[in-house]
Amino acid sequence: MRVLVVEDEPDLLASLLKVLREDGYAVDGAADGEEGLYKAESAEYDAIVLDIMLPRMDGWELLRRLRKTRKVPVLMLTARDAVRDRVRGLDTGADDYLVKPFDVSELLARVRALIRRSACQADSRLTIGDVVIDTASRIVRFEDAVVPLTAREYALVEYLALHRGQVVTRTALYEHLFDENDSTLSNLLDVHVSNVRKKLGHEFISTRRGHGYCVDPPA
Amino acid sequence: MIFNSIRWQVQIWHGLILVTVLLGFGFAAYHVAQDNQMRAVDQELSRQMMSLLRPGRGPEAGPPRDPERFGPMEFPERLRGLEERGDLPEFNRANGSYFVVWLQDGTVAAHSPFAPAGIPMPEFNWPAHPRHSSEGPAFGHGPPQGPTGPPGPPVARTRGGFREVAGAAPGGFGILVGCSLDSERAAVRRLAVWLATAGAAILVLGLAGGWWLATRAIQPIEAISQTAGKIAEGDLSQRIDVADTESELGRLAGVLNSTFARLDAAFARQAQFTSDASHELRTPVSVLLTQTQTALSRERPAAEYREALEACQRAAQRMRKLVESLLDLARLDGARCPLKQDTVDLAALAAECIEFVKPLAAPRAIRIVGELQPVTCPGDAERLAQVLTNLLTNAIQFNRNEGEIRVITARRDNAACVTVEDTGGGIPPEDLPHVFERFYRADKSRSGTGGNAGLGLAICKMVIEAHRGAIEASSQLNHGTTFTFRLPLH
Repeated sequence: MRVLVVEDEPDLLASLLKVLREDGYAVDGAADGEEGLYKAESAEYDAIVLDIMLPRMDGWELLRRLRKTRKVPVLMLTARDAVRDRVRGLDTGADDYLVKPFDVSELLARVRALIRRSACQADSRLTIGDVVIDTASRIVRFEDAVVPLTAREYALVEYLALHRGQVVTRTALYEHLFDENDSTLSNLLDVHVSNVRKKLGHEFISTRRGHGYCVDPPA
Repeated sequence: MIFNSIRWQVQIWHGLILVTVLLGFGFAAYHVAQDNQMRAVDQELSRQMMSLLRPGRGPEAGPPRDPERFGPMEFPERLRGLEERGDLPEFNRANGSYFVVWLQDGTVAAHSPFAPAGIPMPEFNWPAHPRHSSEGPAFGHGPPQGPTGPPGPPVARTRGGFREVAGAAPGGFGILVGCSLDSERAAVRRLAVWLATAGAAILVLGLAGGWWLATRAIQPIEAISQTAGKIAEGDLSQRIDVADTESELGRLAGVLNSTFARLDAAFARQAQFTSDASHELRTPVSVLLTQTQTALSRERPAAEYREALEACQRAAQRMRKLVESLLDLARLDGARCPLKQDTVDLAALAAECIEFVKPLAAPRAIRIVGELQPVTCPGDAERLAQVLTNLLTNAIQFNRNEGEIRVITARRDNAACVTVEDTGGGIPPEDLPHVFERFYRADKSRSGTGGNAGLGLAICKMVIEAHRGAIEASSQLNHGTTFTFRLPLH
């Protein structure tokens, strides 16, 4: 899962990037509105955390322009909690709203919920054969036993599970699992796929040669 | 309750005055009409008496003869003759006039056919020399008349339902002419009824008009009290609807409206201020929360804890700065401004402040030039230093690298004048009028303001105004901004 954080307060941006990264997301940061819009349009993000008061271009304008090309879920962060502002945010195209100051756990939960909903999965538990993925606690069980996964492996499993039945291209996986600072060695993805297959059974991820990978393909 | 209402008080006074005027007018009109009527009756009776005394009618009517020519017996005889010939029509009707003639000894010499019986003889003022007197026809008790002049005014009396006029003729007989007052009394009664009806109608109309006027006069007061009530309940957006701005109440409403508007604006400013202040606190609190929650979420190496603590410290510093600014504003807002009254040399003060901020300017190679002419004015040195430092840090912050700042102190137009010029990007014209407003920032975000909440210039303005001075800003985009404040020398 790849998330973009647009926030101009450096200390807040740093801690948001850190907390999201530690939660297993591939995270990019932007410190002003123009940079934020550029990044949001040039990569496939699963969610964007967007501050409203931004230099150069404020959050409203960024959101308005972004909505012309992208449907990515957006969580607005604001220091103003007037109902008017919240309504305006949601009407402009924001998917959720969080008022500063907020708890980190709530921010993470809202980001998870946004990603889940945008993949049309209402339940936080995904069951695919013998594999059960709890997206809230980020724990994967295989035949009722907890399987230890690295953050990147978990992200791969979760992304494929959220798009179950669809063929996910390697490019899309690179886009969503690695942030801009990762060295995108082409075989890194193969290593992760192979590790997941070792832990959850070879049949869990099927390969469509020339297209990509798929979880739970339609019969 | 009713007597406390202005409308009722006005109405009661109005009613009392109206009733008094109507009663006075009614009685006066009644009496004048009655008097006029009596006078007319008396005149008519006198005329009839004259016509008896000067009978210019009948076949034998020759040249008129003076009544003195009639002897005591001759006159009644003549009357009887006239009567028999039907020559006295006004005395021959049942409800018409009547006459009675008395001789001096009290015997009735003659009377008209319909004269009521038992008319007492009036007190005749018999002439001292009856007949052939040289004094002429002293008729009644009037002044002596010439021999051919009319008789003096006869004596009138009202007896029961009759009006009678009587006089003594020089011929030694007294004559009385009377008539019934029935029709006159009826007319007077009709007049009284008419007056009473008209008076009542006027009273009702007057009271209704008075009520309408009082209501109309009270209406603006009611509107004012209703609006004031709504404002007291907390709806500060209410205003009195003033249609007529010239009347006394209209002017009052205007004054109240402007008071309400100022009150409303003050409340709105207060609410905005509180909202802005809490808004400014939200970001550093967010930093504290996310940093601490992230740091505590798992075991970390010492360097990461240090990093988190440093971020927390920066947030806390920012909050401290904000709280200090808010306290400054609250103190300056207070009724008594705790200003010291020292004699301040602004040149020396500016030199100190320049030294103080130089370390901030050095890393960006900004030069600070002082053109400092000594000028002293009374004031609070600490507060004025705060203003200068604020202006200088702003000038450094918004300057370009390797830019310049000029500080000029001088005495101009009987005022101490301090100017701080920078060579920064300038302030857009649309923002310039607002730079002294609290929490106003040309750039809506926090970046580049170094954590300033946008209170610095507001504090400067308050300090300068507390010194009875004035501060202003002028700016040219891409060339720089100039802040100037003037302080009175005394």
